Amino acid sequence: MTGTVLRAGAWPAVAGISGAAVVVGGFGAAFPAAATMLLPVCFTLLAAAAAFTLDEPASLVVDVTPTGPVRRTQIRAVALLAPLAAGALVLLATAARGLALPWGATGLALAGNVLLGFTAACVARTRTGEPGATTGTAVVLVLVTPGLVPHVARWVRTFPAPGAGGPSSDTVWWTVLAVCAVAIAVSLGGRNLPPWMSTVPISRRRRSYPTVQPP
Amino acid sequence: MTATLAFGPPATSPGRATFTALAIRETRRLVLNPVFLFAVAFITFALWAGPDAGQTEIDTANPYPAIFLGGFGMMATYWLTRSMRASEPVVGVTPITLPARTAALCAVAIVPFGYGCLALIAFLHFHSASDPAYGAFSPSARIAVVAGQIVVPALGGPLLGVALGRWVRFPGAALVLFLVLWSWVSLVTVVAGSHPDSAPVAVLRLFAGFTFFALHSDAGGVTAWRGSPWFFIGWQLALCAIAVLVALLRGAEGRVRTRIIRALGIAGVAALILLVLAAAGGFTHPVTA
Repeated sequence: MTGTVLRAGAWPAVAGISGAAVVVGGFGAAFPAAATMLLPVCFTLLAAAAAFTLDEPASLVVDVTPTGPVRRTQIRAVALLAPLAAGALVLLATAARGLALPWGATGLALAGNVLLGFTAACVARTRTGEPGATTGTAVVLVLVTPGLVPHVARWVRTFPAPGAGGPSSDTVWWTVLAVCAVAIAVSLGGRNLPPWMSTVPISRRRRSYPTVQPP
Repeated sequence: MTATLAFGPPATSPGRATFTALAIRETRRLVLNPVFLFAVAFITFALWAGPDAGQTEIDTANPYPAIFLGGFGMMATYWLTRSMRASEPVVGVTPITLPARTAALCAVAIVPFGYGCLALIAFLHFHSASDPAYGAFSPSARIAVVAGQIVVPALGGPLLGVALGRWVRFPGAALVLFLVLWSWVSLVTVVAGSHPDSAPVAVLRLFAGFTFFALHSDAGGVTAWRGSPWFFIGWQLALCAIAVLVALLRGAEGRVRTRIIRALGIAGVAALILLVLAAAGGFTHPVTA
Protein backbone atom coordinates (compact mmCIF):
# COMPACT_ATOMS: atom_id res chain seq x y z
CA MET A 1 0.00 0.00 0.00
CA THR A 2 2.66 2.51 1.05
CA GLY A 3 4.78 1.74 -1.98
CA THR A 4 1.82 2.07 -4.35
CA VAL A 5 0.71 5.41 -2.94
CA LEU A 6 4.25 6.74 -2.99
CA ARG A 7 4.90 5.49 -6.51
CA ALA A 8 1.89 7.43 -7.81
CA GLY A 9 3.21 10.72 -6.41
CA ALA A 10 4.26 13.65 -8.57
CA TRP A 11 7.93 12.80 -8.11
CA PRO A 12 9.20 14.50 -11.27
CA ALA A 13 7.66 17.78 -10.12
CA VAL A 14 8.86 17.47 -6.50
CA ALA A 15 12.34 16.34 -7.47
CA GLY A 16 12.62 18.84 -10.34
CA ILE A 17 11.68 21.87 -8.28
CA SER A 18 13.83 20.66 -5.38
CA GLY A 19 16.71 20.31 -7.85
CA ALA A 20 16.17 23.86 -9.10
CA ALA A 21 16.17 25.00 -5.45
CA VAL A 22 19.49 23.23 -4.85
CA VAL A 23 21.00 25.01 -7.87
CA VAL A 24 19.75 28.42 -6.69
CA GLY A 25 20.83 27.73 -3.10
CA GLY A 26 24.16 26.40 -4.34
CA PHE A 27 24.84 29.72 -6.06
CA GLY A 28 23.92 31.40 -2.77
CA ALA A 29 26.53 29.29 -1.00
CA ALA A 30 29.10 29.90 -3.73
CA PHE A 31 28.58 33.67 -3.70
CA PRO A 32 28.16 34.66 -0.04
CA ALA A 33 27.30 38.26 -0.95
CA ALA A 34 24.19 36.99 -2.75
CA ALA A 35 23.27 34.41 -0.09
CA THR A 36 20.65 36.52 1.67
CA MET A 37 18.90 37.05 -1.68
CA LEU A 38 19.20 33.54 -3.08
CA LEU A 39 18.48 31.44 0.03
CA PRO A 40 14.95 32.90 0.45
CA VAL A 41 14.30 32.12 -3.24
CA CYS A 42 15.65 28.60 -2.66
CA PHE A 43 13.29 28.13 0.29
CA THR A 44 10.39 29.50 -1.77
CA LEU A 45 11.12 26.90 -4.45
CA LEU A 46 11.13 24.20 -1.77
CA ALA A 47 7.72 25.42 -0.58
CA ALA A 48 6.49 25.11 -4.18
CA ALA A 49 7.95 21.59 -4.36
CA ALA A 50 6.08 20.65 -1.17
CA ALA A 51 2.85 21.91 -2.74
CA PHE A 52 3.13 19.19 -5.40
CA THR A 53 3.47 16.28 -2.96
CA LEU A 54 -0.28 15.59 -2.81
CA ASP A 55 -0.97 15.74 -6.56
CA GLU A 56 -3.05 12.75 -7.58
CA PRO A 57 -3.93 12.56 -11.29
CA ALA A 58 -6.16 9.55 -10.66
CA SER A 59 -8.00 11.21 -7.77
CA LEU A 60 -11.45 10.31 -9.12
CA VAL A 61 -10.56 6.66 -8.60
CA VAL A 62 -8.23 6.93 -5.61
CA ASP A 63 -10.57 9.09 -3.53
CA VAL A 64 -13.28 6.43 -3.39
CA THR A 65 -10.98 3.64 -2.29
CA PRO A 66 -11.20 2.46 1.34
CA THR A 67 -7.86 4.11 2.17
CA GLY A 68 -8.84 7.34 3.88
CA PRO A 69 -7.39 10.80 3.32
CA VAL A 70 -5.48 10.72 6.61
CA ARG A 71 -3.62 7.55 5.68
CA ARG A 72 -2.95 8.71 2.13
CA THR A 73 -1.67 12.09 3.33
CA GLN A 74 0.55 10.41 5.93
CA ILE A 75 2.13 8.28 3.24
CA ARG A 76 2.51 11.15 0.79
CA ALA A 77 4.10 13.28 3.53
CA VAL A 78 7.14 11.06 3.13
CA ALA A 79 7.76 12.95 -0.12
CA LEU A 80 8.46 16.06 1.97
CA LEU A 81 11.81 14.49 2.75
CA ALA A 82 12.93 15.52 -0.76
CA PRO A 83 12.55 19.30 -0.30
CA LEU A 84 13.72 19.07 3.32
CA ALA A 85 16.82 17.12 2.31
CA ALA A 86 17.51 19.58 -0.51
CA GLY A 87 17.23 22.48 1.93
CA ALA A 88 19.48 20.75 4.45
CA LEU A 89 22.04 20.15 1.70
CA VAL A 90 22.03 23.84 0.77
CA LEU A 91 22.40 24.87 4.42
CA LEU A 92 25.30 22.43 4.86
CA ALA A 93 27.01 23.86 1.79
CA THR A 94 26.43 27.38 3.08
CA ALA A 95 27.86 26.46 6.48
CA ALA A 96 30.86 24.80 4.82
CA ARG A 97 31.55 28.08 3.02
CA GLY A 98 31.76 29.81 6.40
CA LEU A 99 28.67 32.02 6.17
CA ALA A 100 27.53 33.36 9.53
CA LEU A 101 23.78 32.78 9.51
CA PRO A 102 21.57 32.22 12.56
CA TRP A 103 21.25 28.51 11.89
CA GLY A 104 18.36 27.78 14.24
CA ALA A 105 16.22 30.52 12.73
CA THR A 106 17.28 29.52 9.21
CA GLY A 107 16.31 25.89 9.85
CA LEU A 108 12.98 27.06 11.23
CA ALA A 109 12.43 29.15 8.10
CA LEU A 110 13.18 26.11 5.94
CA ALA A 111 10.73 23.92 7.87
CA GLY A 112 8.13 26.68 7.83
CA ASN A 113 8.39 27.19 4.07
CA VAL A 114 8.05 23.47 3.34
CA LEU A 115 5.17 23.04 5.78
CA LEU A 116 3.38 26.08 4.35
CA GLY A 117 3.48 24.57 0.85
CA PHE A 118 2.32 21.20 2.16
CA THR A 119 -0.52 22.74 4.17
CA ALA A 120 -1.75 24.72 1.18
CA ALA A 121 -1.77 21.47 -0.80
CA CYS A 122 -3.65 19.65 2.01
CA VAL A 123 -6.35 22.31 2.09
CA ALA A 124 -6.69 22.49 -1.69
CA ARG A 125 -6.65 18.68 -1.98
CA THR A 126 -10.10 18.57 -0.42
CA ARG A 127 -11.33 20.39 -3.53
CA THR A 128 -9.16 19.21 -6.38
CA GLY A 129 -7.08 16.18 -7.25
CA GLU A 130 -4.01 18.10 -8.44
CA PRO A 131 -3.56 21.15 -6.24
CA GLY A 132 0.19 21.55 -6.91
CA ALA A 133 0.22 24.17 -9.65
CA THR A 134 -2.38 26.47 -8.13
CA THR A 135 -1.25 26.24 -4.53
CA GLY A 136 2.41 26.34 -5.54
CA THR A 137 1.83 29.61 -7.38
CA ALA A 138 -0.21 31.03 -4.51
CA VAL A 139 2.46 30.08 -1.95
CA VAL A 140 5.20 31.56 -4.13
CA LEU A 141 3.26 34.81 -4.47
CA VAL A 142 2.76 34.97 -0.71
CA LEU A 143 6.40 34.20 0.07
CA VAL A 144 7.93 36.62 -2.43
CA THR A 145 5.69 39.51 -1.38
CA PRO A 146 7.82 40.59 1.63
CA GLY A 147 10.83 40.73 -0.68
CA LEU A 148 9.00 42.82 -3.23
CA VAL A 149 6.77 45.15 -1.28
CA PRO A 150 8.65 47.44 1.12
CA HIS A 151 5.45 48.17 3.07
CA VAL A 152 5.09 44.45 3.88
CA ALA A 153 8.82 43.97 4.49
CA ARG A 154 8.67 46.46 7.34
CA TRP A 155 6.28 44.15 9.22
CA VAL A 156 7.04 40.66 8.00
CA ARG A 157 10.40 38.98 7.52
CA THR A 158 10.50 35.48 6.12
CA PHE A 159 14.26 34.99 6.20
CA PRO A 160 16.56 35.67 9.16
CA ALA A 161 19.09 37.83 7.33
CA PRO A 162 21.81 38.95 9.75
CA GLY A 163 21.81 42.65 10.49
CA ALA A 164 18.37 43.32 9.01
CA GLY A 165 15.99 45.39 11.09
CA GLY A 166 12.34 44.80 11.77
CA PRO A 167 10.61 41.94 13.55
CA SER A 168 12.21 38.51 13.88
CA SER A 169 11.38 35.89 11.28
CA ASP A 170 11.01 33.35 14.10
CA THR A 171 7.75 34.97 15.18
CA VAL A 172 6.39 34.65 11.65
CA TRP A 173 7.40 31.01 11.27
CA TRP A 174 6.23 29.82 14.70
CA THR A 175 2.86 31.41 13.92
CA VAL A 176 2.83 29.79 10.48
CA LEU A 177 3.68 26.39 11.98
CA ALA A 178 0.83 26.65 14.47
CA VAL A 179 -1.67 27.75 11.82
CA CYS A 180 -0.47 25.01 9.47
CA ALA A 181 -0.96 22.33 12.14
CA VAL A 182 -4.55 23.45 12.66
CA ALA A 183 -5.23 23.74 8.92
CA ILE A 184 -3.90 20.25 8.24
CA ALA A 185 -5.97 18.79 11.07
CA VAL A 186 -9.12 20.52 9.81
CA SER A 187 -8.58 19.58 6.17
CA LEU A 188 -7.91 15.93 7.03
CA GLY A 189 -10.80 15.83 9.47
CA GLY A 190 -13.20 16.21 6.59
CA ARG A 191 -14.79 19.42 7.77
CA ASN A 192 -16.31 21.58 5.09
CA LEU A 193 -14.12 24.37 3.88
CA PRO A 194 -15.39 27.94 3.71
CA PRO A 195 -17.87 28.41 0.87
CA TRP A 196 -15.79 31.13 -0.79
CA MET A 197 -13.21 28.57 -1.84
CA SER A 198 -13.44 27.37 -5.43
CA THR A 199 -15.35 24.18 -5.96
CA VAL A 200 -13.53 22.04 -8.46
CA PRO A 201 -15.31 18.68 -8.37
CA ILE A 202 -13.69 16.27 -6.00
CA SER A 203 -15.03 13.08 -4.71
CA ARG A 204 -13.40 12.69 -1.31
CA ARG A 205 -16.62 13.35 0.50
CA ARG A 206 -18.64 11.54 -2.10
CA ARG A 207 -18.85 7.98 -1.01
CA SER A 208 -20.91 6.62 -3.87
CA TYR A 209 -21.67 7.54 -7.42
CA PRO A 210 -25.16 7.53 -8.89
CA THR A 211 -25.73 4.51 -11.03
CA VAL A 212 -27.81 4.26 -14.16
CA GLN A 213 -30.38 1.53 -13.89
CA PRO A 214 -31.02 -0.52 -17.03
CA PRO A 215 -34.51 -0.03 -18.45
CA MET B 1 -30.10 38.17 -70.77
CA THR B 2 -26.63 37.97 -69.33
CA ALA B 3 -25.41 38.69 -65.86
CA THR B 4 -21.88 39.65 -65.01
CA LEU B 5 -20.52 38.78 -61.61
CA ALA B 6 -17.56 40.83 -60.51
CA PHE B 7 -15.35 39.28 -57.84
CA GLY B 8 -13.39 41.73 -55.78
CA PRO B 9 -11.30 41.32 -52.67
CA PRO B 10 -13.42 41.14 -49.52
CA ALA B 11 -13.26 44.07 -47.15
CA THR B 12 -11.55 41.88 -44.57
CA SER B 13 -10.06 38.47 -45.16
CA PRO B 14 -11.69 35.69 -43.13
CA GLY B 15 -8.35 34.69 -41.64
CA ARG B 16 -7.71 38.15 -40.29
CA ALA B 17 -11.23 38.45 -38.91
CA THR B 18 -10.86 35.10 -37.13
CA PHE B 19 -7.49 36.12 -35.75
CA THR B 20 -8.90 39.42 -34.47
CA ALA B 21 -11.83 37.66 -32.81
CA LEU B 22 -9.49 35.13 -31.19
CA ALA B 23 -7.09 37.83 -30.04
CA ILE B 24 -9.91 39.84 -28.46
CA ARG B 25 -11.19 36.73 -26.69
CA GLU B 26 -7.76 35.83 -25.34
CA THR B 27 -7.17 39.43 -24.27
CA ARG B 28 -10.41 39.37 -22.32
CA ARG B 29 -9.29 36.17 -20.60
CA LEU B 30 -5.94 37.74 -19.69
CA VAL B 31 -7.38 40.90 -18.15
CA LEU B 32 -9.65 38.73 -15.99
CA ASN B 33 -6.80 36.47 -14.83
CA PRO B 34 -6.37 36.85 -11.03
CA VAL B 35 -2.56 36.83 -11.18
CA PHE B 36 -2.53 39.55 -13.83
CA LEU B 37 -5.14 41.58 -11.93
CA PHE B 38 -2.98 41.34 -8.79
CA ALA B 39 0.05 42.52 -10.78
CA VAL B 40 -1.79 45.49 -12.26
CA ALA B 41 -3.26 46.41 -8.87
CA PHE B 42 0.16 46.39 -7.26
CA ILE B 43 1.76 48.45 -10.04
CA THR B 44 -1.07 50.96 -9.84
CA PHE B 45 -0.63 51.18 -6.06
CA ALA B 46 3.15 51.56 -6.34
CA LEU B 47 2.84 54.31 -8.94
CA TRP B 48 0.09 56.05 -7.02
CA ALA B 49 2.15 55.95 -3.80
CA GLY B 50 5.13 57.50 -5.60
CA PRO B 51 8.79 57.12 -4.66
CA ASP B 52 9.98 56.83 -1.08
CA ALA B 53 11.39 59.99 0.46
CA GLY B 54 15.15 60.26 0.18
CA GLN B 55 15.47 57.84 -2.74
CA THR B 56 18.97 58.24 -4.18
CA GLU B 57 18.83 55.80 -7.11
CA ILE B 58 16.24 54.65 -9.59
CA ASP B 59 16.90 50.95 -8.99
CA THR B 60 14.79 50.93 -5.84
CA ALA B 61 11.58 51.34 -7.84
CA ASN B 62 12.15 50.32 -11.45
CA PRO B 63 12.20 46.49 -11.02
CA TYR B 64 8.51 46.44 -9.99
CA PRO B 65 7.00 46.68 -13.50
CA ALA B 66 9.45 44.02 -14.72
CA ILE B 67 8.55 41.71 -11.83
CA PHE B 68 4.81 42.27 -11.87
CA LEU B 69 3.97 42.96 -15.52
CA GLY B 70 6.78 40.79 -16.90
CA GLY B 71 7.12 38.00 -14.31
CA PHE B 72 3.53 37.71 -13.17
CA GLY B 73 2.40 38.41 -16.75
CA MET B 74 4.47 35.39 -17.80
CA MET B 75 2.66 33.21 -15.25
CA ALA B 76 -0.71 34.54 -16.42
CA THR B 77 -0.08 33.88 -20.12
CA TYR B 78 1.39 30.48 -19.29
CA TRP B 79 -1.86 29.52 -17.59
CA LEU B 80 -3.82 31.07 -20.44
CA THR B 81 -1.94 28.91 -22.94
CA ARG B 82 -2.11 25.75 -20.85
CA SER B 83 -5.80 26.15 -20.09
CA MET B 84 -6.57 25.24 -23.72
CA ARG B 85 -4.82 21.86 -23.45
CA ALA B 86 -7.86 20.13 -21.97
CA SER B 87 -10.06 21.30 -24.83
CA GLU B 88 -7.49 20.50 -27.51
CA PRO B 89 -9.45 17.50 -28.91
CA VAL B 90 -12.37 19.82 -29.61
CA VAL B 91 -10.47 22.96 -30.62
CA GLY B 92 -8.05 20.92 -32.72
CA VAL B 93 -10.71 20.03 -35.28
CA THR B 94 -11.67 23.64 -36.01
CA PRO B 95 -10.34 25.11 -39.28
CA ILE B 96 -7.92 27.38 -37.38
CA THR B 97 -4.33 26.16 -37.20
CA LEU B 98 -2.39 25.93 -33.95
CA PRO B 99 0.10 28.65 -35.03
CA ALA B 100 -2.84 30.99 -35.71
CA ARG B 101 -4.19 30.35 -32.22
CA THR B 102 -0.70 30.85 -30.79
CA ALA B 103 -0.40 34.14 -32.65
CA ALA B 104 -3.69 35.26 -31.08
CA LEU B 105 -2.29 34.35 -27.66
CA CYS B 106 0.88 36.32 -28.39
CA ALA B 107 -1.26 39.33 -29.29
CA VAL B 108 -2.46 39.60 -25.67
CA ALA B 109 1.03 40.84 -24.73
CA ILE B 110 -0.12 44.22 -26.07
CA VAL B 111 -2.05 44.71 -22.81
CA PRO B 112 0.90 44.40 -20.37
CA PHE B 113 3.01 46.30 -22.90
CA GLY B 114 0.48 49.16 -22.78
CA TYR B 115 0.56 49.08 -18.98
CA GLY B 116 4.36 49.16 -19.20
CA CYS B 117 4.20 52.29 -21.35
CA LEU B 118 1.89 53.93 -18.81
CA ALA B 119 4.22 52.85 -15.99
CA LEU B 120 7.16 54.42 -17.87
CA ILE B 121 5.30 57.71 -18.22
CA ALA B 122 4.44 57.68 -14.51
CA PHE B 123 8.02 56.75 -13.61
CA LEU B 124 9.38 59.64 -15.68
CA HIS B 125 6.88 61.92 -13.97
CA PHE B 126 8.44 61.09 -10.58
CA HIS B 127 12.03 60.70 -11.82
CA SER B 128 12.62 63.11 -14.70
CA ALA B 129 15.50 62.29 -17.06
CA SER B 130 17.55 65.10 -15.54
CA ASP B 131 17.45 63.46 -12.10
CA PRO B 132 20.97 62.66 -10.76
CA ALA B 133 19.58 59.31 -9.53
CA TYR B 134 20.18 57.94 -13.05
CA GLY B 135 23.97 58.31 -12.79
CA ALA B 136 26.32 59.52 -15.50
CA PHE B 137 24.24 58.43 -18.51
CA SER B 138 23.28 60.87 -21.26
CA PRO B 139 19.62 62.00 -21.37
CA SER B 140 18.79 59.64 -24.26
CA ALA B 141 20.58 56.73 -22.57
CA ARG B 142 18.57 57.39 -19.40
CA ILE B 143 15.35 56.96 -21.36
CA ALA B 144 16.77 53.75 -22.84
CA VAL B 145 17.66 52.46 -19.36
CA VAL B 146 14.15 52.85 -17.99
CA ALA B 147 12.48 51.71 -21.23
CA GLY B 148 14.57 48.52 -21.10
CA GLN B 149 13.71 48.02 -17.44
CA ILE B 150 10.01 48.86 -17.52
CA VAL B 151 8.45 48.58 -20.99
CA VAL B 152 10.27 45.74 -22.77
CA PRO B 153 10.10 43.21 -19.89
CA ALA B 154 6.35 43.88 -19.75
CA LEU B 155 6.20 42.74 -23.38
CA GLY B 156 8.74 39.92 -23.19
CA GLY B 157 7.48 38.20 -20.02
CA PRO B 158 4.00 37.40 -21.39
CA LEU B 159 5.48 36.27 -24.72
CA LEU B 160 7.83 33.94 -22.84
CA GLY B 161 4.83 32.58 -20.94
CA VAL B 162 3.07 31.69 -24.22
CA ALA B 163 6.18 29.95 -25.58
CA LEU B 164 6.60 28.06 -22.33
CA GLY B 165 2.95 27.05 -22.29
CA ARG B 166 3.15 25.71 -25.83
CA TRP B 167 6.21 23.52 -25.19
CA VAL B 168 6.34 22.59 -21.51
CA ARG B 169 3.72 20.36 -19.94
CA PHE B 170 4.79 20.71 -16.31
CA PRO B 171 2.14 22.91 -14.62
CA GLY B 172 4.61 24.65 -12.29
CA ALA B 173 7.06 25.61 -15.04
CA ALA B 174 6.18 29.32 -15.06
CA LEU B 175 6.63 29.86 -11.33
CA VAL B 176 9.92 27.93 -11.33
CA LEU B 177 11.20 29.94 -14.30
CA PHE B 178 10.10 33.18 -12.62
CA LEU B 179 12.10 32.35 -9.47
CA VAL B 180 15.11 31.11 -11.46
CA LEU B 181 15.19 34.30 -13.57
CA TRP B 182 14.84 36.40 -10.42
CA SER B 183 17.72 34.49 -8.83
CA TRP B 184 19.86 34.95 -11.93
CA VAL B 185 19.32 38.73 -12.04
CA SER B 186 20.02 38.98 -8.28
CA LEU B 187 23.18 36.89 -8.59
CA VAL B 188 24.69 38.73 -11.57
CA THR B 189 23.84 42.09 -10.00
CA VAL B 190 25.74 41.16 -6.84
CA VAL B 191 28.67 39.79 -8.84
CA ALA B 192 28.69 42.90 -11.06
CA GLY B 193 28.78 45.05 -7.94
CA SER B 194 31.94 43.32 -6.75
CA HIS B 195 33.56 43.12 -10.25
CA PRO B 196 32.40 46.29 -12.00
CA ASP B 197 35.38 46.40 -14.39
CA SER B 198 35.10 42.84 -15.69
CA ALA B 199 33.89 42.44 -19.28
CA PRO B 200 32.75 38.79 -18.88
CA VAL B 201 30.73 39.77 -15.81
CA ALA B 202 29.15 42.58 -17.84
CA VAL B 203 28.14 40.04 -20.49
CA LEU B 204 26.65 37.80 -17.80
CA ARG B 205 24.78 40.76 -16.31
CA LEU B 206 23.31 41.65 -19.70
CA PHE B 207 22.48 38.00 -20.46
CA ALA B 208 18.96 38.39 -19.04
CA GLY B 209 15.66 39.96 -19.91
CA PHE B 210 16.19 42.59 -17.24
CA THR B 211 19.30 44.21 -15.85
CA PHE B 212 20.41 47.08 -13.69
CA PHE B 213 22.63 49.75 -15.23
CA ALA B 214 23.49 51.76 -12.15
CA LEU B 215 23.88 51.26 -8.43
CA HIS B 216 24.09 53.59 -5.48
CA SER B 217 27.73 53.94 -4.49
CA ASP B 218 28.72 53.53 -0.85
CA ALA B 219 31.14 56.41 -1.31
CA GLY B 220 28.25 58.64 -2.44
CA GLY B 221 26.68 59.25 -5.83
CA VAL B 222 25.51 56.69 -8.34
CA THR B 223 27.83 54.33 -10.23
CA ALA B 224 26.87 53.73 -13.87
CA TRP B 225 27.97 50.28 -15.04
CA ARG B 226 29.37 49.06 -18.34
CA GLY B 227 27.05 48.39 -21.25
CA SER B 228 24.95 50.19 -23.81
CA PRO B 229 21.27 50.61 -22.81
CA TRP B 230 20.17 51.08 -26.45
CA PHE B 231 21.76 47.85 -27.66
CA PHE B 232 20.35 46.11 -24.59
CA ILE B 233 16.86 47.07 -25.77
CA GLY B 234 17.75 45.54 -29.14
CA TRP B 235 18.83 42.31 -27.37
CA GLN B 236 15.58 42.27 -25.39
CA LEU B 237 13.49 42.75 -28.54
CA ALA B 238 15.42 39.94 -30.23
CA LEU B 239 14.54 37.72 -27.24
CA CYS B 240 10.89 38.72 -27.67
CA ALA B 241 11.05 37.72 -31.35
CA ILE B 242 12.64 34.39 -30.41
CA ALA B 243 9.88 33.74 -27.85
CA VAL B 244 7.18 34.41 -30.45
CA LEU B 245 8.87 32.21 -33.05
CA VAL B 246 9.42 29.36 -30.59
CA ALA B 247 5.74 29.56 -29.62
CA LEU B 248 4.64 29.59 -33.26
CA LEU B 249 6.85 26.62 -34.08
CA ARG B 250 4.57 24.33 -32.08
CA GLY B 251 2.15 22.73 -34.53
CA ALA B 252 3.60 24.48 -37.60
CA GLU B 253 3.91 22.28 -40.66
CA GLY B 254 5.36 22.37 -44.14
CA ARG B 255 6.54 25.68 -45.55
CA VAL B 256 5.45 27.66 -42.48
CA ARG B 257 7.65 25.52 -40.26
CA THR B 258 10.64 25.99 -42.57
CA ARG B 259 10.11 29.76 -42.54
CA ILE B 260 9.82 29.88 -38.76
CA ILE B 261 13.00 27.86 -38.30
CA ARG B 262 14.84 30.14 -40.74
CA ALA B 263 13.54 33.21 -38.92
CA LEU B 264 14.60 31.67 -35.61
CA GLY B 265 18.15 31.30 -36.91
CA ILE B 266 18.22 34.94 -38.04
CA ALA B 267 16.76 36.14 -34.72
CA GLY B 268 19.29 34.03 -32.80
CA VAL B 269 22.23 35.52 -34.69
CA ALA B 270 20.80 39.04 -34.29
CA ALA B 271 20.35 38.46 -30.55
CA LEU B 272 23.95 37.30 -30.20
CA ILE B 273 25.30 40.32 -32.10
CA LEU B 274 23.15 42.72 -30.07
CA LEU B 275 24.30 41.13 -26.80
CA VAL B 276 27.95 41.60 -27.80
CA LEU B 277 27.25 45.20 -28.86
CA ALA B 278 25.39 45.85 -25.60
CA ALA B 279 28.35 44.56 -23.59
CA ALA B 280 30.96 46.37 -25.70
CA GLY B 281 29.08 49.67 -25.99
CA GLY B 282 28.35 52.37 -23.44
CA PHE B 283 30.89 53.09 -20.72
CA THR B 284 33.99 50.91 -20.89
CA HIS B 285 34.51 51.38 -17.13
CA PRO B 286 32.11 52.14 -14.32
CA VAL B 287 31.60 55.86 -13.83
CA THR B 288 30.47 57.38 -10.55
CA ALA B 289 28.66 60.70 -10.68
